[in-house]
Amino acid sequence: MKKTKFNKIVTLIPSYLAIATYIIFLVFPLLWMLSVSVRPEAELTRLEPSFIPETVILEHYATVFSGPKMIQSILNSIKVGAMATVGVIALAIPAAYALGRYSTRINKYVIGWVLVSQLFPTILIMIALLMILIRLGLTNSHFGLALVYMVWTLPFVLLMLQSYIKAIPQELEDAAAIDGATRTQTIMAIVLPLLLPGIAATALFAFVSAWNEFFFALVLLREPELVTLPVMLARLVGREGVARLGPLAAASFIATIPALVLFGFLQKWLTSGLLSGSVK
Amino acid sequence: MRSKILLLVLMLIFTSFFSLIGCAPVEEEPAVVEKADGEKEEEVEEEVEVIELTYLSLAWQEEVIEAKKDIINTWNEKNPNIQVKYVQGDWGSIHDFMITSFAVGNVPSIFHYYSTPIVDFAGRDFLADLTPLITDEMKNDVFEGAWTSVRLPDEKIYGIPFLWESRITLYNKDIFEEANITPPTIEDPWTWDEMREVAKELTVDKDNDGKIDQWGAGFGLRKPAGMMLNLSLGFGGGFVKEEDGKHIIEVGEAEKNLMRTLKAMLYEDKSTTLDGIGLSGTKMLPGFYEGKWAMIPVIGVWARHRVTTDAPADFNWGVLPPLKAVTQAQGASTQTLSIPKDAPHQEEAMQFINFFLDTQNMAKLAQGDWLFPTRKSSIELPEFQTEEHGWDIATASVEHLKMGPWQLTPGFAEFQSRVMNPVLVEFFHDRLTVDEAAKRIEEEGNNVLSEYQ
Repeated sequence: MKKTKFNKIVTLIPSYLAIATYIIFLVFPLLWMLSVSVRPEAELTRLEPSFIPETVILEHYATVFSGPKMIQSILNSIKVGAMATVGVIALAIPAAYALGRYSTRINKYVIGWVLVSQLFPTILIMIALLMILIRLGLTNSHFGLALVYMVWTLPFVLLMLQSYIKAIPQELEDAAAIDGATRTQTIMAIVLPLLLPGIAATALFAFVSAWNEFFFALVLLREPELVTLPVMLARLVGREGVARLGPLAAASFIATIPALVLFGFLQKWLTSGLLSGSVK
Repeated sequence: MRSKILLLVLMLIFTSFFSLIGCAPVEEEPAVVEKADGEKEEEVEEEVEVIELTYLSLAWQEEVIEAKKDIINTWNEKNPNIQVKYVQGDWGSIHDFMITSFAVGNVPSIFHYYSTPIVDFAGRDFLADLTPLITDEMKNDVFEGAWTSVRLPDEKIYGIPFLWESRITLYNKDIFEEANITPPTIEDPWTWDEMREVAKELTVDKDNDGKIDQWGAGFGLRKPAGMMLNLSLGFGGGFVKEEDGKHIIEVGEAEKNLMRTLKAMLYEDKSTTLDGIGLSGTKMLPGFYEGKWAMIPVIGVWARHRVTTDAPADFNWGVLPPLKAVTQAQGASTQTLSIPKDAPHQEEAMQFINFFLDTQNMAKLAQGDWLFPTRKSSIELPEFQTEEHGWDIATASVEHLKMGPWQLTPGFAEFQSRVMNPVLVEFFHDRLTVDEAAKRIEEEGNNVLSEYQ
């Protein structure tokens, strides 16, 4: 018995080592950014900098927070990201349900078109899109930008949600129908609860896409008070890539926090196994 | 589970509702004045047209941003009918931003950029012709070399040049003193050969372990095209010639001499570090502070600012004049202010530019960026003539600045990034001979240019 347990532990060691290596690989840039953000200028310019700073300062964070509109830009990014995420999920759920549950002739064409739309490079549609938004009075508005993000992430969100919906057994809905539930009741009481992990994953994708997006935000938002975080961060870099490294690292580190918090919040919904045992 | 769904739906409704409310246009209500008898009456204000201009700036250092905002505030106080709004841009995305803006006509009133793309924008009819709007005072006070950087063959000017820079050599005074080397003067600058000799002398293996501990020079060669173009003028070249109205890339003996000189320092003299091939000029600075290289030749004058902020307090450094090949000539681009063709109120915008770039203001902006003002009256001010931080030597180099022939070449930016930089990096890695590199630059470069001509 003991031997079996020992063997099991020995077998698990390489797996844990591999996971630990992977985690270090993923976390290292974040830790390096943190390390850079608390170093004095003199340490930042060393030819061979050490990983752990000799002196820890918070001056760069003070610069970021005292700087013009940095906090405002973080709030703007949260606002636009939240609007885009809620909007795209609200649009995608019924569309994904229809595509996942009803097999009609046009389904494959719709999916095909959704995939093709992903092939257009941003710059190709930018001018046309900007002209439309100007005519609609939607430039210089967070709603306009959120609308663009909704449209931009919709195809991928739709495909993701569709696959989650397909994974929910049809038998569950049939059983609900036999019990007298209407289609709406079935969706609200059966499908949506089982779809929560999918909604959490796609919401995370939509939010992070909006959170990181630069070019649409740059072109659509002209008023200084509307600017989002990625655009604000770019302003810490000068000509030929010369950067204000300390404040840039501090601001970038702050920028990762909301996405991490959101991930932590949604993680509990990212659990699998909701469907286990639902059908024989 | 049902409560979670309800929560999700409620969140959705609330967020969408408040978002829409937040984005809805707010109509301004007329001011309401309460009269003495309690009756309310709408106040009718006398309408005065206030022109609003937007100024898109690329300043990125706090001091310069503040200096610009101060100048704009002063203007706004003095000119209540022409109000200027400061809008921040960034160097990394300005090109795409302006191209998109030109295409849809949603442009800033005035924008900051530099001469090479300005000439390209002008050729594509995106910019207002400023020639009739420039005052005689400004015309005469700005260096002719700076005007040539923004003047098209038809003599029209599409940008006001206000900052420019030269390439100087930074040196470690302590290392020079220790080796009894006397630095050159403005009147008697070093030739490239003299600099090579000094670099060889300063390249030493201090601890006799068979490895070099101190190189004479450190060149930042990560993207060498810009440096090579600017230096080629001093060697009597320029990489571009015009034949029958067409621009042609040509790597002649002058350009090859420059290429040979640098490669010889890397592989024959071994007086400059190979590490520099992967590093930009700025990235060479830490090694300079640590005494790894005694000189950083041909680095931009702005680098002095980094030395003052980043180097240890006891670091003893100085500036050497531009190196002489055939001459000390260098190519220069200028930072500019331009007005888009589609922008309204162009005359008012030019009035603002005249104020923004007067002698004192231009000097203030140049000091903040550690560059040179293009006005003669600004550069004659004492702050540009002081010995502190090598300003006197740096300023004297302005007389060697010239416009390179490549600046009016359509498609040159693409040639520079797609052909010249990668080929030169291969050359400095010693994978190509001078002739092979020259041939590739010519052939591939002319292919790129042919798409534009």
